[in-house]
Amino acid sequence: MKELLTELLMEDKTLIHVPFGNGFFDICNSVVVTWIFMAIIIAVILFLTHDLKVHNISKRQAALESAVMFLRGAVSGMLGEEAAGYTDYIVTVLFFIGLSNMVGLFGFTPPTMDLNVTIALSVMSIILVESAGFLRKGPKGYIKHFAEPMAVVAPMNVLELVIRPLSLCMRLFGNILGATVIMELIKHVVPVVLPAALSLYFDLFDGAIQAYVFCFLTSLYIKEAVE
Amino acid sequence: MSLTALGAAIAAFTGIGAGIGISIATAKATDAVARQPEADGKIMKLLLLGCALAEATAIYGFVIAIMIILFS
Repeated sequence: MKELLTELLMEDKTLIHVPFGNGFFDICNSVVVTWIFMAIIIAVILFLTHDLKVHNISKRQAALESAVMFLRGAVSGMLGEEAAGYTDYIVTVLFFIGLSNMVGLFGFTPPTMDLNVTIALSVMSIILVESAGFLRKGPKGYIKHFAEPMAVVAPMNVLELVIRPLSLCMRLFGNILGATVIMELIKHVVPVVLPAALSLYFDLFDGAIQAYVFCFLTSLYIKEAVE
Repeated sequence: MSLTALGAAIAAFTGIGAGIGISIATAKATDAVARQPEADGKIMKLLLLGCALAEATAIYGFVIAIMIILFS
């Protein structure tokens, strides 16, 4: 058990050593997997969006338009009318986390299993939430909103600045790590058939749910901040 | 090593709370949908939010158990 955990968590995650100054500049596994994603996503987007027309649209464009409208509608429904400008960021994050969680299907290590990636995502979220509140309320109103509804709860509101990103990042990381650990254990016990069925749940369903939950919570915080 | 395993097992008890929490939330959501089937979109959203928050405790327990095993 301990060997398995050590192998999953403590292994050297560096994939490429780039000579830099006196030592090495290490590029992690998760970064390389993210690059592969970026290449695939950019290729798909370029394929889907070349020669878009206003009249006589092709089937490809019709499918693209309905998919984009569906995603935007779902996300801006979570954000509410006042924060609808943040829709595109949330859709992007939804795509990225969803794809990263499901990449375990193809034998890669999910980038979201790296604590650095989830920390970066949650820090981006909290910066977006706080700056949305700041832009909406102005400096004075932003300071004042810490003392709402009463001045007594101000410490709690300040603590939330730390707790929110911490719980966002730990939830994503823990879920993906837990799924991976369970999958590895099952592969040790029953190497055939059963892992395929269970990976449907752990990789596809759980990954999609966690991506949705991350975006849902972020958009909920944004909605609360701009009220 | 045995005490370490015991500690990790105790940390895994957080799963009880998460299980009870999620089951209560699901039961109430089922009730709500049965009463007002037209509101199931909103109920689904709230259920997912509640489940995510309740499940977080289990995840914290899991992370702590792993920390106990690894860093002891």
